[in-house]
Amino acid sequence: MVNASEPMVPPLIGAQLNYLLSHSPLSIKVEQIWSGSKNPPYLSDRFTLLIPFCLDYIKWDVIYNAQNPLVAPDIIFAAVDENFHPFSISAEGHSHSLKSILCDWNCKDPSKLLLLIHELRVLYNVYQRKKIGQLDDERLKFEISTIHSREGIEVSMNSAPDKADEVKFSVPLLDIDLNKMVHGCTWKHRQQIFLQVIFPISRKYSLAPTAPRIKLVGSSELKALFPIEDVKLPPWLDGMCLAEYLPIIEDNLNTQIVEAVAAIGARRRFIEALAPLFGRPLEADPVFCRKATVFSCSGVFTFLVHFSLPTQFPKQQPVLVLQSSQHFNSLGTPVMSPPLMDYPWSPRWEEPKMAERIYEFLAEECLNFKKYCNESQLQQY
Amino acid sequence: MNDDLPLEKIAISGPTLASLIQRFSSSNGDVDGLLFGHVTQPTPVNLLDDDFPSSSSSSSIRSDSPTLVANITSFFCSGTLSSFYDSLGQLNLSALNRCNQQQQRLIGWFVGRRRTSLRPSMREFSVSSSLSSNSLETLNFSQKESISSISPPFHNFPPCVFLLLSSPLSVQLIHTHDYRAFQFRRSTDVFEPKSIDVINIGPAFRGHYGAFSPNSQFPWLSCSMKEFSSSSPSREMEIVSGDDDDKGKEESLVSLKRVAKDQHGLDLCAEGYEVGRLSKLVGSEAVNYTSELEDLYGKMLAKLEGLARVVEKSSALVLEQERCNIKLRNKVSGLE
Repeated sequence: MVNASEPMVPPLIGAQLNYLLSHSPLSIKVEQIWSGSKNPPYLSDRFTLLIPFCLDYIKWDVIYNAQNPLVAPDIIFAAVDENFHPFSISAEGHSHSLKSILCDWNCKDPSKLLLLIHELRVLYNVYQRKKIGQLDDERLKFEISTIHSREGIEVSMNSAPDKADEVKFSVPLLDIDLNKMVHGCTWKHRQQIFLQVIFPISRKYSLAPTAPRIKLVGSSELKALFPIEDVKLPPWLDGMCLAEYLPIIEDNLNTQIVEAVAAIGARRRFIEALAPLFGRPLEADPVFCRKATVFSCSGVFTFLVHFSLPTQFPKQQPVLVLQSSQHFNSLGTPVMSPPLMDYPWSPRWEEPKMAERIYEFLAEECLNFKKYCNESQLQQY
Repeated sequence: MNDDLPLEKIAISGPTLASLIQRFSSSNGDVDGLLFGHVTQPTPVNLLDDDFPSSSSSSSIRSDSPTLVANITSFFCSGTLSSFYDSLGQLNLSALNRCNQQQQRLIGWFVGRRRTSLRPSMREFSVSSSLSSNSLETLNFSQKESISSISPPFHNFPPCVFLLLSSPLSVQLIHTHDYRAFQFRRSTDVFEPKSIDVINIGPAFRGHYGAFSPNSQFPWLSCSMKEFSSSSPSREMEIVSGDDDDKGKEESLVSLKRVAKDQHGLDLCAEGYEVGRLSKLVGSEAVNYTSELEDLYGKMLAKLEGLARVVEKSSALVLEQERCNIKLRNKVSGLE
């Protein structure tokens, strides 16, 4: 959120910016905010926005004028996009709302900036598609024409001075709402998995075009449910096109997501099975059930057991870490055991049996840990 | 035909550029305004005496791509933004005409915005596009009758010049002003960056005098002393010299009327001091009339002083109004 007092953003501009940042489904960021006034108070009336586009960010400068707060802001696009002229694209019939947003500009309506940025982003995608259509690359033209019916695809041309030109596609996969599949999830933005496909631009016809570079992309929040980088991508066969590849990867991904959601249930049952033996967990992750901490003791030695449950649970067993409540190292932090995985485990056991076997294992292991704690404390003196 | 020819460069005199920068840097916020001037085709330096056999083709090449220079001779600064266009960048013709009350030749416009990139913005593209797709006639700019009463060359040239003024984004830099000039090409819808030639700066400035034609706002007064010729027929003299003889001889009724009007204006300034009396300043009687002349100067000085006081008062009023406006604006934007 932008603090209205420092830097000093005029309230009307601040309200529009805050509305944009908090209400946009895109995670838009403010890179810089500054003033264009000559005299104090230096009202901050211009800022650089980082807007997610095609799995990257585009940088747009939004120029308000503190002296004329009633006037709609102006936008300066990035240097590489000097040919992006929203009014011309809009006039070609792609969208009529840009005109109406600017004509009906109302500085007191905080949602106006969001409408403007979103509309410009739609036009920007049209501009990128046109740019790629103008390339003399038959394969790219074919790819674009065959996936035209799919919604939400974004394309952009990357031309770095030191690299070969390439075209990037960002394809949203699976028309399912992940947020609804995970009960009680705390995700702020709607989770979506994208397929990033990068085609090299080839200006001459070739019979066996090189395979594109493919990668799955999801937000970092998605990791709690599903490690996207571990998904094995189906191979891109010779002569394949995106329209053929997409159903294959979507099938593949769908099964894995169903498994990942099912794994949450298994983890929850496991954590619940800990309670009869260890007592109620001190802490547990209630949404994805990836973590739980219980309190245990052996005679007068009391310690915590941290369970880290992998997304592949129960195929992979939990990682245990013991933490003493009585021993501290020289820095004053509690002594912890190394991660423990060397204990009896079978994914075919029922959850109560898993918990029971861990309980038995810990009854022995805690003696080793107590020794370890005493030794590490002795070393200090 | 000359509606979308490429400019070679854009020339501006040092004082014009300086006063433009001064107007921008003294304003509190962003400003825009109009640029006036003319387009010229400088004589090529490497003229060839030889008449080549293929002279017709070479001359056609030359006429196809003349090297044109846009000369900015004056400007109007609105002191604010969106002065003659809306937020879509569409022109407001009546506001545009208000900005050009001197009826000068429009060749483009400018924007000054502090601490921004020197790239045209979304709206600036739209404004330049609308400006240069209109010829001056459709913009309803009745051209001021030029001094030579000959229509200047390239009078159809669209107002396609765009001058962008800014200040560096980083405060640490030593220089305080940036500017960049563009020509908006209607055929390609592209801003082409153009070099700016600041006249009177640099070692080669002497050459500029020949190429530069100044543009004065002082009216051309073609009054003569004919009314007084009866009183002193031997000393018929003309106040304003340089009036072409043949032009004076074929005076039409219209120009006679204009002369009478100008004469009336001059008489008002002279305040009863008949211009004919000036003739007495020459010769033996001159000594007696010096006091009379001093009296005239005294009156003129008093008048100037009075004018200065009026300007001072009105400036104070303008300043007060501006303060009031800032207060109102702050109120609207919720700062108070």
